[in-house]
Amino acid sequence: MFYDLNVPWSATDAQLPRTLAFLDELGYNVVALNHTISGKLPAQISCAIPDPLPYKDLPAKLEIRRRVTLTLTDSYQNARLAELARAYDVLAVRPVDERTLQLACGSLDCDIISLDLTQRFPFYFRYKMLTEAVRSGKRFELCYSQGLLGDSSARRNLISNATQLIRASRGRGLIISSEAKTAIGCRGPWDAINLAAIWGLGQERGFEAMSKEARNVVVTAQLKRTSYKGVIDVVYGGEKPAPVEKKEEQRAEGGKVKGKQPAAVNGQKRQAETIGPDGMDAGDKPISKREAKRRAKQARLSTGDGEKDVASESAVAEPGAASGQKRKAEAHGSDGVAAKRQAKEVRLDTTNEGKVAVSASAAIEPTSTNGPKQKAGSLESDVETTGRA
Amino acid sequence: MVRIKHRYLLLNILYPDQKTANVRIAGRPGEQDVPYSVQFRQPSSDQLTPQILLRIIRDGVATLFGDYGSGKVSSSLQIKYFSPATSTAIIRISRDHYRLVWAALSFVTRLPKPLDQPCVIQVVRVSGTIKKAEEEAIRRARISIRRAQRAGKGKDVVVAAASGVQAVEGADEDDDFGMMDGIEDHDAPGEAEEDSDEAG
Repeated sequence: MFYDLNVPWSATDAQLPRTLAFLDELGYNVVALNHTISGKLPAQISCAIPDPLPYKDLPAKLEIRRRVTLTLTDSYQNARLAELARAYDVLAVRPVDERTLQLACGSLDCDIISLDLTQRFPFYFRYKMLTEAVRSGKRFELCYSQGLLGDSSARRNLISNATQLIRASRGRGLIISSEAKTAIGCRGPWDAINLAAIWGLGQERGFEAMSKEARNVVVTAQLKRTSYKGVIDVVYGGEKPAPVEKKEEQRAEGGKVKGKQPAAVNGQKRQAETIGPDGMDAGDKPISKREAKRRAKQARLSTGDGEKDVASESAVAEPGAASGQKRKAEAHGSDGVAAKRQAKEVRLDTTNEGKVAVSASAAIEPTSTNGPKQKAGSLESDVETTGRA
Repeated sequence: MVRIKHRYLLLNILYPDQKTANVRIAGRPGEQDVPYSVQFRQPSSDQLTPQILLRIIRDGVATLFGDYGSGKVSSSLQIKYFSPATSTAIIRISRDHYRLVWAALSFVTRLPKPLDQPCVIQVVRVSGTIKKAEEEAIRRARISIRRAQRAGKGKDVVVAAASGVQAVEGADEDDDFGMMDGIEDHDAPGEAEEDSDEAG
């Protein structure tokens, strides 16, 4: 992922879609359109860059962010920077002298410090000042485009300032962007990295400046705006998932339990285990007719009810389950599976009064065929749930 | 005897400007309908020869790095391959100084006098052997043709009718357009065949 976080935007620029298409062609993935404000802030701050952009032929894969650059002049007062930051995706400041640079590195809450590298600064960049800014999450920006298009003095100043900046920051906390007003000023990401390598930034650092550090800026800026205190952001609000998805998940879990059933577990454990998992492992696979008959017979024997009719499962279950538990079981579902389960629940109820029907239904392994395996399965699922908890 | 090690830079010449049309697309009076990727990767003019390209590089190195840079570069600089049809070139340069040449290429914004077109030169691959550079050139040409085909779908722009490249729906290949391991800064073991073959 390559980032170019400075593409100047103006409302009358007809060349912008071409520039964006060219950046896409060069291999950039994320581009930030830059709106520059100098002087006094307007009374009503709103994002000047329309969303969506009014061009029809934009490259589909290119991600576009909105950035504002505020020029810090002498008569600057600190008010309303937060308001400005809220209106855009990324907030950059452009200091013009040492005092404002000090201010930007220290107290101002911005994302990018963007210096105009084509002019000559009458001061040195100090390591302490720059690291203070980098530690608080601000990044310094190297814009290469003016060095390519401008005259030789602009190029000389750019190289000089960039070298100074790289030296003073030890190559940390820099991002490289184009600031290209036309498509001709853009270069490929690796070309820009090579330029930075010529200026003294190692290739690895240059690559990070193009990708990792720039991503850092975008992500932290987004987090600052949307999250709670810059720490917690709700990415997924826990809406009800689609029913199809849930069913698949259940089936997968059921299959997993079935797969790792050990050979034999103490039969007495069964009741204790059945309480634990609350319906998590109850698969929806219908039991076989033979199994249903077997269960019905078991239920009949345990209740002592001499029911003759074995052919219909529901007919067997209903007379047996005379207690209040039965209604709970019915609540699980009105389909055939739930009806088949009832027989099992009834038996459990008689052996252990007061067990919750929900947990009892969980204990039924519809896929297994005989007693000991069932117990093992429910034990297994219980262990799983506790482990997860 | 110690062999001189080289780097081969594969470069594309891109034409981002609207006005520089070296070819006319048949049956299209207005240029607006041509997709951007076709516009950018259009063929170079016939006047652009390897000699002119070499002169651009030499001049660029001289302006950026002065006599020192020109002296360092001049002995090993060579244009190995240049194709105006795809605007692709492979140049050879000694390993120690390839960054100088690369920077000089990045600073090119305009082709010199007889052509006088704005252009951007992008280095897409730095390789220790010319073979790898060649393979990469072929791969990229394929990808760009496919992209153009996909972009021109629905419009009757004949982009690559004669190229023999099949249009693949949703080809994944152009996702890895990067040069993550494209810069070979260190010696690779399989670099022995370096000077063995000539491209094109």
